Amino acid sequence: MKFRLEWLGQYLPGDLPDLATLRRRLTDVGFIVEGTEGEGKDAVLEVELTANRPDGMNHRGLAREAACALGRPFRDVPVPAPAEGAAAVSSLATVTIAAPELCSRYSARVVEGIRVREASARVQVRLRALGMNPISAPVDATNHVLWDLGQPLHAFDLETLAKGPDGLPAIVVRLARAGETLVTLDGVERTLTPEDLVIADAERPVALAGVMGGLETAITPSTTRVLLESAHFNATAVRKTARRHGMHTDASHRFERGTDPETTVEALDRVTELLLADCGGTVARGVIDALGTPRPRQTVTLRHARLVSFLGMEVPLPRCAEILSSLAFGVREAAPGVLEVSVPTWRVDVEQECDLIEEVIRVVGYSSLPETLPHAYNPTWSEPTLAREERARDLFAAAGFAEACTYSFVSAEENSPFASCVDGTPPVVSNALGEPFTTMRSTPVVGLLRAARHNVRRGLGDLALFEVGRSYALVEGRPVESRRAAILLRGRRGVHWAAEARPADFYDGSGAVAALFAGFGAPAPAFRPAALPFLAPGRSAEVVADGKVAGWVGVLAGPLGATWDLGEAVVADVELAAIPVPSPPSSVEMPSRFPGSGVDLTVTHPIALSWDTLVAAVRTGAPAELLSVEAKYLWRGAGVPEGHVKTTLTVAFGSAERSLERDEINRWRDEAARRLLAVPGAAVDGIS
Amino acid sequence: MSSTRPEAGGAAPVSVEEARGLLDAELAAAAGRGGLLPGDVHELKVRWLGKKQGVVTTLLARLKEVPKEEKAAFGAGVNALKQEVEARLDVLEAEASARAAALAEAAKAVDVTLPPRVPPVGRLHPLTVVRRRIEHVFRGLGYEVADGPEIETDWYNFESLNFAPDHPARDSVDTFFIEGGGTGRDALLLRTHTSPVQMRTMEGRRPPIRVLCPGRVYRKDDIDPRHSPVFHQMEGLVVDEGITFAHLRGTLSAFAKSFFGGRAEVRLAPTFFPFVEPGVDCAVSCVFCETGCRICSYSGWIEIMGAGMVHPNVLANAGIDPERYTGFAFGMGIDRIAMLLHGIPALRLLFENDVRFLDRTWS
Ligand SMILES: [Zn+2]
Repeated sequence: MKFRLEWLGQYLPGDLPDLATLRRRLTDVGFIVEGTEGEGKDAVLEVELTANRPDGMNHRGLAREAACALGRPFRDVPVPAPAEGAAAVSSLATVTIAAPELCSRYSARVVEGIRVREASARVQVRLRALGMNPISAPVDATNHVLWDLGQPLHAFDLETLAKGPDGLPAIVVRLARAGETLVTLDGVERTLTPEDLVIADAERPVALAGVMGGLETAITPSTTRVLLESAHFNATAVRKTARRHGMHTDASHRFERGTDPETTVEALDRVTELLLADCGGTVARGVIDALGTPRPRQTVTLRHARLVSFLGMEVPLPRCAEILSSLAFGVREAAPGVLEVSVPTWRVDVEQECDLIEEVIRVVGYSSLPETLPHAYNPTWSEPTLAREERARDLFAAAGFAEACTYSFVSAEENSPFASCVDGTPPVVSNALGEPFTTMRSTPVVGLLRAARHNVRRGLGDLALFEVGRSYALVEGRPVESRRAAILLRGRRGVHWAAEARPADFYDGSGAVAALFAGFGAPAPAFRPAALPFLAPGRSAEVVADGKVAGWVGVLAGPLGATWDLGEAVVADVELAAIPVPSPPSSVEMPSRFPGSGVDLTVTHPIALSWDTLVAAVRTGAPAELLSVEAKYLWRGAGVPEGHVKTTLTVAFGSAERSLERDEINRWRDEAARRLLAVPGAAVDGIS
Repeated sequence: MSSTRPEAGGAAPVSVEEARGLLDAELAAAAGRGGLLPGDVHELKVRWLGKKQGVVTTLLARLKEVPKEEKAAFGAGVNALKQEVEARLDVLEAEASARAAALAEAAKAVDVTLPPRVPPVGRLHPLTVVRRRIEHVFRGLGYEVADGPEIETDWYNFESLNFAPDHPARDSVDTFFIEGGGTGRDALLLRTHTSPVQMRTMEGRRPPIRVLCPGRVYRKDDIDPRHSPVFHQMEGLVVDEGITFAHLRGTLSAFAKSFFGGRAEVRLAPTFFPFVEPGVDCAVSCVFCETGCRICSYSGWIEIMGAGMVHPNVLANAGIDPERYTGFAFGMGIDRIAMLLHGIPALRLLFENDVRFLDRTWS
């Protein structure tokens, strides 16, 4: 927002303040001067104002802050009431507030016999300095007062207002009726709703209250009789109306944030003065000053002891009183160390003691606050879910995966194949930016697919990505967020000139999941064949831990791989909370010093007979000395019947107490072989 | 391979001296032909020390032809010769096997400049790295790390945090709402800041509270170099008896010095957030320049976070007596700090997951 130094100076008696000093001090007290243009009285300041300080969005208001910040006096510019004509305003127009909660005050004057001319050079210079083009004296006068006092004004051509039963042009502040329309000054026809606060005449809306006037009742070059409006509208009503119609004006900007109901008549007098000077005419006698429901005045108590303990620094009581007084607060010492402070009507932001403390310290200066630390403190608690997420990140990074960070929302189409990943339904953003940002993902894998496609399209096809993040669902209307570890593998693994690289396959995915479990010290998960719509049939599995499904892993279904331009990709998603993390050990046995011993068994069996079945056969009834069963080699093809596979298992035995005898190992091996042989369809080499 | 066989037609030596001369000549010849290998030495051993045809054996067989009085001397001479041959050939044998080992190693030599077989090197995302660095500083100051949902209610995201019912930020213009949520304070939305965790933390626990909450937040911003509808914040909250505005300043200063380096200063400026009063913008003196640079817009200061004293209405909404307890809160954008620290030119790089970007080192 722009401010002209000469204009500010009107409220600061004496020499114009030094521009650099003013800039620094205004910024210190919360009115950030982002830049300045020009010098001397023509200098213009660009100021960023926070939404809670509409009172600073005009020259008088900012000058008041400047005076306080600079420690100089502030001087208001009194406006004498204009010389009035004989005709009483009450005989020329009527004002009715039919929505008193939304309009606390509507003040109006009537000026007759004007001739629309250009505004005076002084007004034009000022408006140009703020970046506005002068239009005509009546319009420029209202703009001038808005930027001077912060009161938005509107001028109606009195002749265009429909008359009421009493024969007088009528102003009615009311809610619009369904279906009513209004062509606003910008030429747009607006269809109104019963929530829109409007200014109407006896027949129809003539302005969107606090936002923009209507075209039909606007001042034209031939206008001679003017009704000037200076009102206070409810901030929420104006904001909602402006939003509903997609409008933003200098007037709505101020009404939305809160204007001063006490300034309506003063502003009216000032605009009348400007209008008379530039366009001549006669002011009707008196002001129409209709009142709605008034806003209560605020009185706030400030305890000096509280101020000191809150700030952690001493500011003497007289200094506090001086600062508040210079900002036009009414200050009275109600009891020793207790100030009774009445809040100026334009300060819509001050309601409580802490607001007054801020007033004091922002003027004293934040740079004078000491830098102290709270007393030492031992954390007593930590969030276990976050610790688990962090550990999963470290484990995947250590396993050679790159961490991705993808959007939580994806397109409905992208998510739909994965919707079964969560219970309930995917949350949908009702006011999304459009696709692909409408649907909260059912698995982070959807984001990884997008990330993978980005890379593949740039020729970066060998990918190992992970994301530790959330999946989202609505279950019976309640949001459920699950913390997941997801991976995507694609392209070649182990690329090196010395050997041919192999493509990522299912076992890279299940291996990464197993590594995650191992990293947490959890028992190895089981992989159970599962039909999942987004995974290739026969190359998809549920991850099972503690008998419960903890996630899934598999090769992306062919059609999805094609849709995403990925071809074959391996994906997995594990719920972190489902990993059965054991307590850390409180004691550890010595590892056996006796080397174990491994023996091989080769089984020919139907392909459909799973590895898990073979392992179960070996383990069932095995001695405690059985350490492990590993898959050594699988062979399909020559020498193996069609539909069969030859699997070599390495079975390891060992004991913590002794070296094992060759005889007993052979006996255990033979027993295991006979158990394998008992599995239907299995044949064991060397045993019949 | 060199040959140690005697010249065809060469006569067997008849005296120790002759044999020694022959030995010298043969070994010199072998040496002249290049390094001996174990096989060559073996052949020499057979030729000189062989039980049947060896030169020494053959020479010794001449003992019966030697006159009786010379027998003792001849026998001693041949024995001395034998020991000498053995000793010299042992030396050659050791040299040969060392030479053979060296040749075997040489055969295994590789071009060490060829590309190595690098095990896969994983990476943490820069947002993770920067977040952890921030957490590290505050953990040192006694903060715990808390967490909360991203799909929030209007109550936690706005109303309990003292946003007026008609505050502009509550508008759907800035906030994403979820279909099928309730209405009013039960409306479901994507949290626009991590501040709801303040309220959830204060509800769940009594002071003293000293927590940090990192997380994803959402705002209805179109994607451009500085905006993204998803980004990350780090919220801090301290509530206790006797917490002052000076503590806030001291804490932010301690963070700035620890995170950006010892010469970093903080500057607080008044601003407005509904859930704190006073509210401040915190800038840190630019650590990238002495006299102004692009990063600090030639001002010497970089805005890094918003902060303030917890509004008494917020404490009261959490059931904490604002007369007895005071507190401060601060919040910073992790994405923004990551961009600042690493000169990342566009926010979208953080979400695009281009592996050439992800493969960099961030700390
Ligand atoms: Zn700089």
